[in-house]
Amino acid sequence: MAFLTIRDLRKTYPTGETALRGVDIEVEEREIVALLGLSGSGKSTLLRCINRLVEPDSGEVILDGLDITRLGKRDLRRTRGKIGMIFQHFNLVDRLTVLENVLSGTLGSSSFLRAFTRAFPQDDIRRAIELCSRVGIADHIKKRADQLSGGQRQRVGIARALIQKPKLLLVDEPTSSLDPKIGAEVMELICEIADERSIPVLFSVHDVGQARSYSHRIIGLQNGEKVFDEDTGALDRKSLNLIYEMKPVPASAAQ
Amino acid sequence: MTGLTQTLSKNPLREPGDIARRYTVYVLVGGAVLATSIHLLVLGTDWSRMGTLAQIGETVASLTPNLSYIPKVAEPLFETALMAFWGTLLAVILSIPVAYLGATRTTPSMLLGFPVGRGIIILSRSTHEIIFALIFVAALGLGPLPGILALACRSIGFMSKTTAEAIENVDQGPIEALEATGAGKASQFLFGVVPQVSPTFLGNAIFQFDINIRRAAILGMVGAGGIGLHFSEQMKTYNYGNAGACVLAVVVLVIFGEIISNRLRTRIISG
Repeated sequence: MAFLTIRDLRKTYPTGETALRGVDIEVEEREIVALLGLSGSGKSTLLRCINRLVEPDSGEVILDGLDITRLGKRDLRRTRGKIGMIFQHFNLVDRLTVLENVLSGTLGSSSFLRAFTRAFPQDDIRRAIELCSRVGIADHIKKRADQLSGGQRQRVGIARALIQKPKLLLVDEPTSSLDPKIGAEVMELICEIADERSIPVLFSVHDVGQARSYSHRIIGLQNGEKVFDEDTGALDRKSLNLIYEMKPVPASAAQ
Repeated sequence: MTGLTQTLSKNPLREPGDIARRYTVYVLVGGAVLATSIHLLVLGTDWSRMGTLAQIGETVASLTPNLSYIPKVAEPLFETALMAFWGTLLAVILSIPVAYLGATRTTPSMLLGFPVGRGIIILSRSTHEIIFALIFVAALGLGPLPGILALACRSIGFMSKTTAEAIENVDQGPIEALEATGAGKASQFLFGVVPQVSPTFLGNAIFQFDINIRRAAILGMVGAGGIGLHFSEQMKTYNYGNAGACVLAVVVLVIFGEIISNRLRTRIISG
């Protein structure tokens, strides 16, 4: 079985909008997989169903032999601690410092009192500082997060995910809020780090060029269904048409 | 198409019918306010007892502060400031759980907790501090303690309401990120909600302190401690000069409070 195996994942939101209609995905160890698809094709929902930020209706999400969909609250939190997530809008706490934002990645394993008094373990602080310098924001550790530029903020987001020592990285359109040059730098950094730490990555992306440059494999979603799943080299004009084609919504879903 | 252009005059923003309707409403409402005012206020005043302008001047002049009385005012003045401080602090602390209950995002139960939180907010905001003071004076006797409790009860509503609103408007992004790291609800609140809410919260706390100084100065008149008690005693014994000294002292205290709160507010905004 693959490192991450998703089977027949389905999700319909309470609003009646169906985001996933039975998706099967496998991600091998050390593999970087890109998710392509139109807005509303289910990329975001798929990523969030893996760590159950969005609760799937049915299906299995098996990470390293463990079915996440069956976990209770405590075990779910522990497993989330092993899955790093990077967001389109960075999702930093603006009024906290860069260092606090990075250390917030350890909140899953630290007590409330420690978090309240900011008495983080010395080891975590050392690692946070190391990660800041790894992602290139060592000079800004004591600054408030809202004083940084977009690219720097995303680097904080990357460091926050890495301090979890993740076994998997979920990356939700990491470059969509950035200009192309900074976006490419951020993507490169994510892939470099994933490679040096052997972390598999599943990232959603709008930019086909970025999917081509940075992934080993591409998965195409359309209207909640997987319509493409091949090595990146196999992505041609025909497959792009397949992924981005606007099909009429089936009558059953339009109700 | 023709139907639409036919029903519109040259300037659709100035339809004659609309203007006529609007001014009819103005005249009717204005006339009603004027008529009831004449009936209740003008005819309800005993004009035969009305003094001359000179007499009014005389009364005001008699309130000229008696400066030699100022040293005696110092103690109740401090009492007033401390009442405002403790009343505000109590309200600030108690408003946290009330806001937690009364915000849809955080409330543990929409059926039980939410109505309790909202109920406290409505009760507190709709009741005047004098009413609270009268209740607590009746229950606890004279002195600053009922005053402190009255101020706290009055401020809880405002503090909880604004805090609950701030909680509702929190940016969910950071909280989602914290949830994704495996952080528990309490840690999510501490790192995700508190930093976003705290500037509003502290700003409002200072604002309430500022207002509570004024409120505290009045509460003494119903027996709830502070300078108000002195003021009403001096008024009742016709020592208008001493009463004037009390008023002067309150003005100084209010200005002082305003300076402090402005300083604190600037620090919060820049911090």
